[in-house]
Amino acid sequence: MALQLLLVEDDPVLADGLLRALQAQDISVTLVRDGLAADAMLSSTGVEVAVLDIGLPGIDGFEVVRRLRARGSATPVLLLTARDAVEDRVRGLETGADDYLVKPFATAELVARIRALARRHAPPSNALGLGRLSLDASTRRARVGERPIDLSVREWGVLEYLLRQAGRVVSKQQIIDAILPWGEDVTENAVEVYVSRLRLKLEGAGVAIRTIRGFGYLLEAAPE
Amino acid sequence: MNSIRLQLLKWLLGPILLINMVLAGLVAGLAWTPAQVAFDQGLFDSADELAARMQAGAQPQLPVRLGGERVWFVVRDEQGQVLAGAAGFPRLRPGKTAYEAQMDGQPVRVVARLVATPGGTRQLGVARTLRQRLELRAAIVRSLAVLVALVTITLVGVVWLSVSNGLRPLARIRAELAARGPGDLAPIPAEQIPYEIAPVVTGFNELLDKVEAVTRGQRDFMADMAHQLRTPLAGMQLQLEWLGKRHTSDLETQRSLAMLNLANDRMIRQVNQLLALARAREGQPAKALAPLDLAQLVQESVQYFVEKAAEKRIDIGFELAPAPLAGEAFQLRDLIDNLVDNAIRYTPDGGRVTVGCKVKGNETRFVVEDSGPGIPVARRTDVFKRFVRLDEKTTGSGLGLAIVRDIARAHGGRIEIGDGVGGGTRISVRFRALPPAAARH
Repeated sequence: MALQLLLVEDDPVLADGLLRALQAQDISVTLVRDGLAADAMLSSTGVEVAVLDIGLPGIDGFEVVRRLRARGSATPVLLLTARDAVEDRVRGLETGADDYLVKPFATAELVARIRALARRHAPPSNALGLGRLSLDASTRRARVGERPIDLSVREWGVLEYLLRQAGRVVSKQQIIDAILPWGEDVTENAVEVYVSRLRLKLEGAGVAIRTIRGFGYLLEAAPE
Repeated sequence: MNSIRLQLLKWLLGPILLINMVLAGLVAGLAWTPAQVAFDQGLFDSADELAARMQAGAQPQLPVRLGGERVWFVVRDEQGQVLAGAAGFPRLRPGKTAYEAQMDGQPVRVVARLVATPGGTRQLGVARTLRQRLELRAAIVRSLAVLVALVTITLVGVVWLSVSNGLRPLARIRAELAARGPGDLAPIPAEQIPYEIAPVVTGFNELLDKVEAVTRGQRDFMADMAHQLRTPLAGMQLQLEWLGKRHTSDLETQRSLAMLNLANDRMIRQVNQLLALARAREGQPAKALAPLDLAQLVQESVQYFVEKAAEKRIDIGFELAPAPLAGEAFQLRDLIDNLVDNAIRYTPDGGRVTVGCKVKGNETRFVVEDSGPGIPVARRTDVFKRFVRLDEKTTGSGLGLAIVRDIARAHGGRIEIGDGVGGGTRISVRFRALPPAAARH
């Protein structure tokens, strides 16, 4: 089912662009152009994520979020703003917004953040996938197409984390923290070993693990 | 240049010196006069004694020495013929006062009088050398000269010290102003300012206020403009993206869209740079300085850098060690973004960029090295000027390094441009390191 998104933006050119860009990503967008309409929309149910401009006619984005939180709603909110002054950022997050994006932004960044917000507020999904690779977190099975692949516990942990963060650069330390929540000892060298083994096992899966020199890795769809 | 200190010294020392000399003259005179009177009295006594002898018809005679001085006498008749005593005696001027003359090439004091003797009126002269008196006078003058010199030197010292002391508030204000960062237009604190220079300080503060207001106005205007532009630019970007996806087969349209995208990207970058510049110029970072870690700040932007580098197939790498310093996170993020962005922008496709930070000695260093064309040594100071670009072909705003320099300065850091490995550029910014203990909380 398509993600139900409320978009609140008064600039017609940007609103129209956002509408097209988000709909192209299979997101179902409802567009309103002022704060009061946004407040009314958010009072009814069905909105999974709200993307709010701060400078709005009527009541501003901060006030919309304040009213939303005052009603006890946990609907995730992403604020869009032309300002990136510290005060604005801090104020936005203190008011109860979940994320903050400064205009202009790349569509990919906005979509990634919207999906991340939706995921965080949805029950955790067990099925992960990219390219021909699919992971089932409940059974801890990994497949490339129909072919099952054999992974050690640590390799599974690294791959699951990379896949959940697909498209994002993660540091070796982040990987270690993610696969060893109980504080066992794993060196960064060991992570390198797991990654090189994963690369061998993922051949033909349509995914690539890129090395970011001196920092970490990035899992992405491999160019065909 | 006009020096208050020298002016004061001149005006104080001239009169002081003059008064000292006049006083010294008076003291010399006072010390001298009684000695003169006593000496002359001795001569008169000798003359009286001789006169008494002559009136009694006795032969005049006098000891050759008297009180350590050579003594002469002479008796002449009314025609000036020498009747007794020394030959070559100076001219006689009989009278009640002693006078000075030369005898045998020595200065002498002479007393002359007329004496009525049985043989007629005679001129009597008594002379005495002045050696001791001259020595005495020389001694008095010497002591006085030393005294005047000592008093003068002491006064110069005292005047110098008190003038310096009096000028100390000015020196303090100067030091305070010199220590300010660019854009710090806070008024000079009015406490502990002496009454005499308070009007100057007040005037200066009023001027600072006006400048600050103008600067703030310009900055706010710049920031407002930039903010106003962001929404339409964002809209344009999205529309262009959408158009690009629809007309994938039409090469002419694609080319035109690519140009539009390039122009839009350039405007977006320029607007962001203007905002960064406004932020860098905000000044008074001392208020907002907080302990933070450069490595952490770089990490926050890694995603963006990696994406940018990937567009040009640039191998971007990181060498991040903990790098604590006291700073303002927004400005430092601007600094990092600009330097890395520049490196990626000026490095040809397939090149290499390495971003690093570490503590070395008491310095926290941020280093960006690229395999680009490098910056010629002669142009390494030019690149910090606003709107200076080395290469007209690239799409830089020409603001990046000016922003970096402003931010580095506001944080007490300095920038060095060096050669990267293999001919590229290596820019390193050095800050004063924060003790690790302070960086932790």
